[in-house]
Amino acid sequence: MAHNGDRPAPGFWRETGQLVRAVVRAMSVTFRNLFRKPVTVQYPDVQRPYPDRFRGILALAYEKDTGEEACIGCRLCEYICPPQVIKVEMLKSEKRNYAKTFTLELYSCEFCELCVQVCPTDAIIMMKSFDLATADRRDLLLDKDRLHAIGLTFEPSWATGNRLRDMQAPPKPARAAAHGDARGEAKEPAE
Amino acid sequence: MAATQAKQVVEVGYGGNERLMMNMGPQHPSSHGVFRMILTLEGETVVAVDAVIGYLHRCHEKLGETLTYVQYPSIASKTDYVAAMTSELAYVSAVEKIAKFEVPRRAQYLRVIAAELQRIASHCLWLGTWCLDMGGALGGGATVFLYCIREREMVLDRFEELTGARLLYGFHQIGGTRYDLPPGWDTKVRETVDFIEARLDEYEAMLEENTFFRVRTQGVGVISRELAQAVGVSGPLIRGSGVGYDVRRAEPYSSYGDFDFVVPVETAGDCYARYRVRMVEFRQSIRIVRQALDGLPEGPISSRPGVKSVGQVRVPKGEGYARVEGARGEVGCYIVSDGGPKAYRMKWRGASFSNLAVLPHIVPGHKVADVVAIMGSVDPVFGEVDR
Amino acid sequence: MTLPPALSHAIVAFIVLNALLVLVAYVTLLERKFAARMQSRIGPYYVGRPHGWLQPIADALKLMMKEDIVPTASDRWVYNLAPLVFLVPCLLIFATIPFAPELGVADLNIGVLFFLAVSSLEIVGLFMGGWGSNNKYALLSAMRAVNQIISYDLPFIFAALVPVLLAGSMQMSAIVTAQQGLWFVAYPVIGQLAFVAFLVATLAAENRVPFDILEAESELVAGFRVEYSGMKFALIQLGEYAHMLGTSFLGALLFLGGWLGPGPAWLGPLWFLAKALLIFLVVTWVRWSFVRIRVDQILGISWKLLLPATLLLLMATGFVVALRGAGGA
Repeated sequence: MAHNGDRPAPGFWRETGQLVRAVVRAMSVTFRNLFRKPVTVQYPDVQRPYPDRFRGILALAYEKDTGEEACIGCRLCEYICPPQVIKVEMLKSEKRNYAKTFTLELYSCEFCELCVQVCPTDAIIMMKSFDLATADRRDLLLDKDRLHAIGLTFEPSWATGNRLRDMQAPPKPARAAAHGDARGEAKEPAE
Repeated sequence: MAATQAKQVVEVGYGGNERLMMNMGPQHPSSHGVFRMILTLEGETVVAVDAVIGYLHRCHEKLGETLTYVQYPSIASKTDYVAAMTSELAYVSAVEKIAKFEVPRRAQYLRVIAAELQRIASHCLWLGTWCLDMGGALGGGATVFLYCIREREMVLDRFEELTGARLLYGFHQIGGTRYDLPPGWDTKVRETVDFIEARLDEYEAMLEENTFFRVRTQGVGVISRELAQAVGVSGPLIRGSGVGYDVRRAEPYSSYGDFDFVVPVETAGDCYARYRVRMVEFRQSIRIVRQALDGLPEGPISSRPGVKSVGQVRVPKGEGYARVEGARGEVGCYIVSDGGPKAYRMKWRGASFSNLAVLPHIVPGHKVADVVAIMGSVDPVFGEVDR
Repeated sequence: MTLPPALSHAIVAFIVLNALLVLVAYVTLLERKFAARMQSRIGPYYVGRPHGWLQPIADALKLMMKEDIVPTASDRWVYNLAPLVFLVPCLLIFATIPFAPELGVADLNIGVLFFLAVSSLEIVGLFMGGWGSNNKYALLSAMRAVNQIISYDLPFIFAALVPVLLAGSMQMSAIVTAQQGLWFVAYPVIGQLAFVAFLVATLAAENRVPFDILEAESELVAGFRVEYSGMKFALIQLGEYAHMLGTSFLGALLFLGGWLGPGPAWLGPLWFLAKALLIFLVVTWVRWSFVRIRVDQILGISWKLLLPATLLLLMATGFVVALRGAGGA
């Protein structure tokens, strides 16, 4: 066995002894692993627990107190989305605005959470699941009804717009009391 | 030097010097991404290497001009996608340099923890894929690969708890970071790094004294000190060739000056030396993570208000270059700003792009099997090369 | 009514062949599960829960249903015949292995010679596959294969000849009977060294890591098999694993005492199978623990280390046998 480089080549017996030792060490490592528990998670029979902040499928939420749609059609998410997958049309109304149409192209979405970050009313949120495989890409072009349905099907993740913004720039005490603790406790934001 | 012999396919000569041109093409199990090497072979020996890149070009620098400073950090992670945190760090550091934004101490420490954990994860992937290339998808290489991935998954789980994503995080924002620690995270990170440190001993037992591994890597792909400095490689490549250059020491950024760590330097310049450098970096990163967690200051995580609108960050006219020590070398971002919410011009200095330039100098003369060993020890990620 | 000998031999051969094919298929499952456990994962699971019992059958069905792609520029006859030329010697070697004192297809009195000679014929099929594919990767792999297998066949033969010398016969059943007192692997120094040399030469002759340079997936993308798909690929895989199993059986027979073991006589074939699977598992364990070495280093080991060593071992064995013969009757 050739040894190049500026390391001195050891003698034959020393090399053979080293080889035997190396073989035994490597094989003992694999042997030890034979008796360790496998780390496989048998998805889909078994789901691993997803952390609170998991960025999964997007959804639209309803307001907590009134049960109305939370989206006011302000289009901030549309402007900030880097791949421009969100398209919103605003519907003006007396007390507040709504979204007339809201389409999200999930097949191009980057799951960067910037839309969630900027939403002033915590309308667009992400779920703790990614389980939306389809056989046809057009099924991933989510419209408003589908987004609301997803919001009711899966478990939402911790992050909403207000919570993320409060985490980045902690608000003054009065607002903090209204919004709940921003440093990672899962509390409901008051609207 | 690599002479392009694109016109000739086979030069048949008698007397034993038939030349064969073989494509280690863009689709290949061990090209570490989409990378084409046109090898000119004489028997088993490589005579010339012609490297072709550009298969993963995704117009990052143009995206830097069309997306605003608020949107781009999420995209910046996609250049070096294996070590996403350091890529984002380069971009936001450049913007902060031009605009002279202060980054709060807590955010700096969080950035350090993220970058060092990312370095551990990236080196796990490096070791796994390198052994996979050298040992075969059905063989000992796969075993080391799966062990390394098992450990990398633990680090990715920590990142998932921190940001919600496993590979491309969007963790940094201009002026600080976007996420703060969830409760109980630092305990879990300590457990993770303790576990990985113990497992590192196992990897070294499998590889370090292993004669098979040594004969594959010692004396192979020697980058001399002069060549390394002339071509401009960085990271473990230059530290394996005797030059102790580390951006974290040369130009400390993000409060790296507060931490106590060793920068490993080896003089042999071969694949084994680069392996040793990265193994030491593993342990040093663990050390830095522990120090950062111990000394984590309280305070805000961003000096700017939370991201509310897309044109929120305006940077005055000017230009700036920021560099960070990525897992593969010096990652740099150069931005020219014209006073608006978007950059006027952005240029990435990809570490792997400069590192790959050394291939035509060191590969000729080696056998085909050595080409994969060398590629693995150079550890390119083509997101950085092609951008 | 007694059957004519030709018919009875044909029936026995048919049964042995089918049993062999099933065994080879399930040995692949054994290897996958064993390798998976060493890598902290589970291996085949879904097909035939919970242990993947139906996985080999599913693989065989899948390969049979796959499209048979033949490259247009390939050498038609050579390309199409190569899997068969590769497979037939690998199955033929089982003809000489006796599974029990009277149970075997043909217990030739030159059994070991036949085994070693026929098992070397697979190189022809291998090279045909590499050449006929008209693919530079396949060609490179075929060149390396010829180099490697020929270099390692010599130490393989010499290591296999040590038990032949100790037993005094090339007939396989005679070799097993000669081990009734002491298995050949337990002979002081000579037996162990010969066994180790046999294992190393087996690894190399089977193209197993650390000597699997010819099919180095990361460089040559499946080597000489790269252009084969569907049933032809299945035949090549079958041949490889059959050869692997054949040399495991040979090793169990030559060194570990064949069908000898405690218990009643009908337990013999099961002991034999267990010993062969033990050798197979050891080879698998080595395979999944090491990186491969370069082709010039492989050839260096063979010619500079293994060949002189086995030659010396053979001479030493001859010396011992001569002394024993001179001292005894």
